[in-house]
Amino acid sequence: MARIVLRGLGHSYRNAPQCETDYALKPVDLTWEDGKAYALLGPSGCGKTTMLNIISGLVTPSEGRLLFDGRDMTGASTAERNIAQVFQFPVIYTTKTVRQNLAFPLECRNWPSAKIAERVDRIARLLDLSDILGAPARRLSADQKQLVSLGRGLVRDDVSAVLLDEPLTVIDPQMKFALRRKLREINRATGITMILVTHDQSEAMSFADEVVVMKDGQVQQSGPPEHLFARPQNEFVGYFIGSPPLNILAAEPGNNRLNCPALGLSVGLPRGVGTSVLSFGVRPEHIHLVDVAGTAPGARVEAVENLGVERVFTLRAATGETIKVKSRRHKGLSAGTDIGLSVKLGDLLVFGNGRLLGDGEAYLPSEDVG
Amino acid sequence: MNRTYLIVKYLFLLAWSTFVVFPFLWALSTSFKDANAVTSGARYIPWLEFEPSTQGWKSLFTSGSQGINIVTPFLNSATVTLTASAISLVLGTLAAYGLSRYQFRAGFVKNSDITFFFISQRIMPPIVLAIPFFLMLREIGALDTILGLVIVYIALLLPIAVWVMIDFFGSIPKELDEMAMIDGCTPAGAFLRVILPNSLAGLVVAGMFCLIFGWNDFFFAFTLTFTKTQLLPVAIVSLNSSVTPWWSLSAFALISVTPLALVAILVERFMSRGSLSGAIR
Repeated sequence: MARIVLRGLGHSYRNAPQCETDYALKPVDLTWEDGKAYALLGPSGCGKTTMLNIISGLVTPSEGRLLFDGRDMTGASTAERNIAQVFQFPVIYTTKTVRQNLAFPLECRNWPSAKIAERVDRIARLLDLSDILGAPARRLSADQKQLVSLGRGLVRDDVSAVLLDEPLTVIDPQMKFALRRKLREINRATGITMILVTHDQSEAMSFADEVVVMKDGQVQQSGPPEHLFARPQNEFVGYFIGSPPLNILAAEPGNNRLNCPALGLSVGLPRGVGTSVLSFGVRPEHIHLVDVAGTAPGARVEAVENLGVERVFTLRAATGETIKVKSRRHKGLSAGTDIGLSVKLGDLLVFGNGRLLGDGEAYLPSEDVG
Repeated sequence: MNRTYLIVKYLFLLAWSTFVVFPFLWALSTSFKDANAVTSGARYIPWLEFEPSTQGWKSLFTSGSQGINIVTPFLNSATVTLTASAISLVLGTLAAYGLSRYQFRAGFVKNSDITFFFISQRIMPPIVLAIPFFLMLREIGALDTILGLVIVYIALLLPIAVWVMIDFFGSIPKELDEMAMIDGCTPAGAFLRVILPNSLAGLVVAGMFCLIFGWNDFFFAFTLTFTKTQLLPVAIVSLNSSVTPWWSLSAFALISVTPLALVAILVERFMSRGSLSGAIR
């Protein structure tokens, strides 16, 4: 177990990276605290897997340093690092049985055989593999194979961290849910750092203490799931976290104020924005539908998507902008209806050139209503 | 329709197997003939068309002027082929693994060029190599010796082993090596403990190719030896004198074919690649 620090760590698969786009992972400073559960979230090809492979030692970074508890591990072998990694698709040793597969990482480290047997049995029980321990691993189904891969990652109790590279992709949905919870339990019980790569945000939010969002080889934001949801640092994070994504609406400066025509709101003009392109962001969960008769700005319902408990309404505002609203109420509302919108000022985010204005709590829209 | 297809299919298979097996049947029947039966027209069926004689088979195991010594060439061939194949397989597998997993570069020379260099050794007509091999072996005093032949055969078989194994390792996902290293193996450990056990099918195929090419080679066995060291193919041809003992020759030929036929039957199940699927996904 270790605190893993990335210091200016970057990687390019080219020999002499010229510009930023040559990097698979742009130089980054990041700390993975010991014992926490992390989710690494981002679209395909954003450098998530490269980062994991650098931590586990499969890839040597072209620049920067990697520290485990302050010790420089940049050039250390995979064995020295003692990292467990589970890939997206199951990797199993086809010539071995399930038991031999699970025992292999321990055999490689010369554990006494009694201890190996005990540990293997324990992990097998945890993952419901006890009944098939004797079976040849190549005969298993895809999700059983992935469980074996996962088991091999969890069987060592002294690992520095467990890196999970979208390991639940091939597992069927019900099992996926149970496994995620199990992983969380293991993290809580053993205090082993876990880093889960995923592009499924609900998986990230439910698993992690802290979520790291990446894009184009760059870390966009990291923090607790609630924080990423409430205060996305930029439009990308707002768009990527949350379903449906953050509504981005036009902001028009005028009269020393910043107006949002679609919602009929206005806030005090933030200072020092210069010529930045300004926009508003608002979560679909934070827009309330009200009676059209009042003073609230109107919109027309264009589509209704029933998610079971909740509904997602696609609205067309008077300004022509599309707004998504997520609500548990308004079951009778159908397409074609006109409806009013209401948003609390505190739920309104202001972006300048795509970045959240006022880092953290520094800038909040003022209280006046326009 | 279905019935016609079956009949045509089996007729074809029958015709083809007859075509393939016929030379062996011919050799088998000839090996039991005496001089009289061989020279007096086409006769194939023992007892009916000719009186079988075991003189051909006996002559192989009697020494002296009447006999032909098959044991020494057989052992020579076995020694040379097995040794050269084993060494080629070991070196070739290591080379192929290196070429399939690591990037090498020396100036403009890259992995694909190194691979081509290996394979180009088999593209060259062997006769081009005869004189250089002869001169080099003479230089180190290895002409007409088992050692000299082993060295030359390694040079001939190594490309085959490299070729087959590069292709085979290419089909084994790299994740398997990576996983083994994450599980705590060194790169060498990953190769020995994980990749090699997964490569049995490839090793068998490569080994079999080595055995076939080594065992069958006549050209180098002929040009690089004189009288002391004789391999099977050369020994068979040397029977072909003014009066050819067809009965001994046939028996000899059958015996020299047997080892390869046995190997083929034993390893047939490895020839399909099915046994290696399922390592990933």
